[in-house]
Amino acid sequence: MIYLVRTLISGLSLGSIYALMALGYTMVYGVAKMLNFAHGDIIMVGAYSIIVAVSQAHLPPLAAVLISVAVCACLGVTVEFLAYRPLRQAPPLNVLITAIGVSYFLQNAALLVFGSEQKAFPAIVSFPSLSVGGVEIDGITLATLAVTAVIMASLTLFISKTRIGKAMRAVSEDKGAAELMGISVNRTITLTFAVGSALAAVASIFFGAAYVYVRPTTGAMPGIKAFTAAVFGGIGSIPGAMLGGIMLGIIEQFSKTYISTLWSDAIVFGVLVLILVVRPTGLLGRKLNEKV
Amino acid sequence: MKANLKNRLCSKNAVTLYFITALYLAVSILVYGGWASRHLSSMLISISCYIAMAVSLNLVVGMLGELSLGHAGFMSVGLFAGCLFSIYTVGTLPLIVRLPGAMLLGGSAAALAGLVVGLPALRLKGDYLAIVTLGCGEIIKNVITNLNITGGALGLNTSTIYSGTKTLLPYAIALVFITVLVMMNLKKSKHGRAIMAIRDNRIAAESNGVDVTYYKLVVFVLSAFFAGAAGAIYGHSFANVKAATFDYNMSIEVLVIVVLGGMGSINGAVIAAIALKALPELLRDISDYRMLVYSVLLILIMLLNSSPRFADMKGRWSIGAMYKMLRYGRKAAVETEVSHGHE
Amino acid sequence: MKRTKKTLCALAAAAMLIGCLAGCGSGGKEPAATDGDGSASLLLGGIGPLTGDYANYGTSNRNGAQIAVDEINAAGGVNGFNFTLDFQDSQGNPDSAVAAYGKLMDNGMDVSLGGTFSGETQSIVAAAKADSILVLTATASSKACIEGNDCAFRVCFNDPAQGAASANYIADNNLATKIAVFYASDNDYCVGLYDTFAAECETLGLEVVEVQTFTSSTNTDFSTQINAIKDSGAELVFLPIYAAEASTLLTQASGKLENVVYFGCDGLDGLLTKVSDPALVEGVMMLTPFAANSTDENVQSFVTAYEAAYGTVPDQFAADGYDAIYTIAAALQQAGITSENKDDTFNEKMVAAMTQITVEGVTGTMTWGADGETSKAAQAMIIRDGTTVLYEG
Repeated sequence: MIYLVRTLISGLSLGSIYALMALGYTMVYGVAKMLNFAHGDIIMVGAYSIIVAVSQAHLPPLAAVLISVAVCACLGVTVEFLAYRPLRQAPPLNVLITAIGVSYFLQNAALLVFGSEQKAFPAIVSFPSLSVGGVEIDGITLATLAVTAVIMASLTLFISKTRIGKAMRAVSEDKGAAELMGISVNRTITLTFAVGSALAAVASIFFGAAYVYVRPTTGAMPGIKAFTAAVFGGIGSIPGAMLGGIMLGIIEQFSKTYISTLWSDAIVFGVLVLILVVRPTGLLGRKLNEKV
Repeated sequence: MKANLKNRLCSKNAVTLYFITALYLAVSILVYGGWASRHLSSMLISISCYIAMAVSLNLVVGMLGELSLGHAGFMSVGLFAGCLFSIYTVGTLPLIVRLPGAMLLGGSAAALAGLVVGLPALRLKGDYLAIVTLGCGEIIKNVITNLNITGGALGLNTSTIYSGTKTLLPYAIALVFITVLVMMNLKKSKHGRAIMAIRDNRIAAESNGVDVTYYKLVVFVLSAFFAGAAGAIYGHSFANVKAATFDYNMSIEVLVIVVLGGMGSINGAVIAAIALKALPELLRDISDYRMLVYSVLLILIMLLNSSPRFADMKGRWSIGAMYKMLRYGRKAAVETEVSHGHE
Repeated sequence: MKRTKKTLCALAAAAMLIGCLAGCGSGGKEPAATDGDGSASLLLGGIGPLTGDYANYGTSNRNGAQIAVDEINAAGGVNGFNFTLDFQDSQGNPDSAVAAYGKLMDNGMDVSLGGTFSGETQSIVAAAKADSILVLTATASSKACIEGNDCAFRVCFNDPAQGAASANYIADNNLATKIAVFYASDNDYCVGLYDTFAAECETLGLEVVEVQTFTSSTNTDFSTQINAIKDSGAELVFLPIYAAEASTLLTQASGKLENVVYFGCDGLDGLLTKVSDPALVEGVMMLTPFAANSTDENVQSFVTAYEAAYGTVPDQFAADGYDAIYTIAAALQQAGITSENKDDTFNEKMVAAMTQITVEGVTGTMTWGADGETSKAAQAMIIRDGTTVLYEG
């Protein structure tokens, strides 16, 4: 029994990080209808910003976090302006390829600037762990889960209650009609990218705190896993991203513990495929009715 | 009729074939005559395999309109199946039987994998299908790495069947030609039209009697077959092959080639495959900045390709248009352009 | 009319493309280049990942080799030859590595330094067979990668030998009887070490109580594996992995795995530079031929030169790269080839010389057999108080 709980806890740890990363992904996709493949690399840039701010500029942790959020948001907005906006009329696959180009660009730029050796993320936050009936829950896990839940709730409120949120929903449904209603599509999408990238910066804090070491290619695989989690939960759905991330983490840890670490990759993706076949729009995705 | 023959000889498909023939003829002369640089000849088999991969992925992405991120998985299934066959028959069968046999076996094994991957495709669309194909690629990679017969993590030792460019080139050429011919014929046939109809409007196609299930499966199986055959040859050009090389990064590489070449365009896929594989090699002299320059070029090319202003410029400054301008004068050229409409 | 033009244009484009590619290099090997002051130049070609996920390994390899090349040239070269190092990027990808080999041959490479990783080296060695060129790989350690080519040699240990040596060391020094193993199941270095280690443990009567693996897709979170190792009650954890993943494991296991001895191989070299806090790796043991703070004069001068040039302490990959260059210099001396008498028998003589030399390198004293393997001793090191010292039991 205690093993079950322990595996569940480690699943939550891993899953919470995936969830936080998936939130940014899903937000951008939900509004701009584009897959920002470079999201994982924006997380990497956020992590490096904190490392530079704390270790080299010796700034206090809060300032470092704010700088990281600012850097990521600016980066997201710049990338959107330079690489994605000109392609707004283009087929979505073209935008995907450009996103891949941006992803490679960020990785290689980071490689040139920071070198390929791993850097340690500074211990800027420490959370007390909780002991529940003999099983210890890491402080970081609790913090990540809490922050993810808070962000999810505030994002949902933001999208449904505020005017800007309504504008985002309008843009996601029909860009042309939104423009006719007086909504500035450009500004809305720029804002979406800014928020999505800021979320990436937050994700990088918890990623760094949990896994400590950062390299230029750190963002790539987690980016793919976040994408998987977002789709799993139903892409475009914010609660779906959180659910998808946590489920992915739990499935991964359970398969590693109870089946085998050798086959865990195959099992995780196998389960994913099965669930998607059963529920083609993801766990919480909306069923899109096709019009003839 | 003479006009009909002339049309066919100068048709777009024929142009593609001439282009490929000319390219391979030139390359063969260079390689067999000994004038090719080592650098060039070591790239040839790899580029040919990527052309076959791109043209086969073009069937899924360009013609069927579905995003497939697991194409490298099919290549690896074909590679291991074909190379294992080759290793076991290296003493008993002559090369001319062994290699095509390996390619056929590899292609068939990959086709089987394609069938399995195609089944979820029947229910899924768009990004969901992309994730499923990605997952299938990872599953294939994980399974092959854990099997003993494929060498496991140490990789398959293919030094017994390792062959140089000069030996493999004829087979690679045959592979590329067959792949391109099959795809071209498919595109022009009623099956191709059915597939493109599914891409453009599935419901309308279905209501017109197009068997969507059948065609979707055919697409996955056929594209996997050629990827597998390409994989079999690819394996023969190395002494050690690991399943880990064939991950989603390679799938994305092939996808980039297809999209860059223009989706649905076989000609484009061929040219883009050559350009994108040769480009990093040509940039070797600026090795530190090579990948950075590559990624910037990729972004620029995508921006230029997709931007409507550039498409307009491309039309006005294309070689055909310039020829017309020289021949007929500026005003007349514009008039003929307008009256002919777009090709 | 338009279509015929299109056809001709396509043919013209094809011709241009071919011309561009073909013009990339000359058709054959160029003779040894001569510098302005009359001394000839020997081109040494290295291949390894300089960009991408594994960039630090290729970069280390190249940097170590470059230090040696600079030292040799500063001392006046060897037999009238100046060394030139041309290190090409392969991103760890065999495709790119074989193309890099082709490019190096076009550039007139005289001696090949093989590849950095075993997989790419195996393909390079196969491609080099037709050229009969001497291939001396510094860091590729799988057994199979230099087989099949009589001209291929290596500077580092091969994995099966290291795995067996580790098991023997643990048994001989009574370090533990219950052993857990943690390794990457999709990495050839780790699997090569693990297979012989496990086999040797069986013969020696050591009990392997737990085996845990991870893959490159799951190399950030090790909590499941750490929990399993803790439950098994192992006294020693064998880590046949690289320093980067080991640093992650040790950081995540701190506080969870108590009273456990960590034992690794040469892949753990450089662990101290990678962790955030040296206390995390206190007591970690490794079987490695290179120790950056050995008091040996050679080693110290290498380390000083490396730190001055690149700002970090050199690791195993750099040390092997350094020794590879000096080995080539020694072979050149032994073969008696000078810039005047360099001819077509260059490759033959160099290969023959390899089995006759003894090199006192920073990774130990090395001699080579006809199979290309080197004989040198590995030492057991332990990390104490933030430095790596010789383990004295």
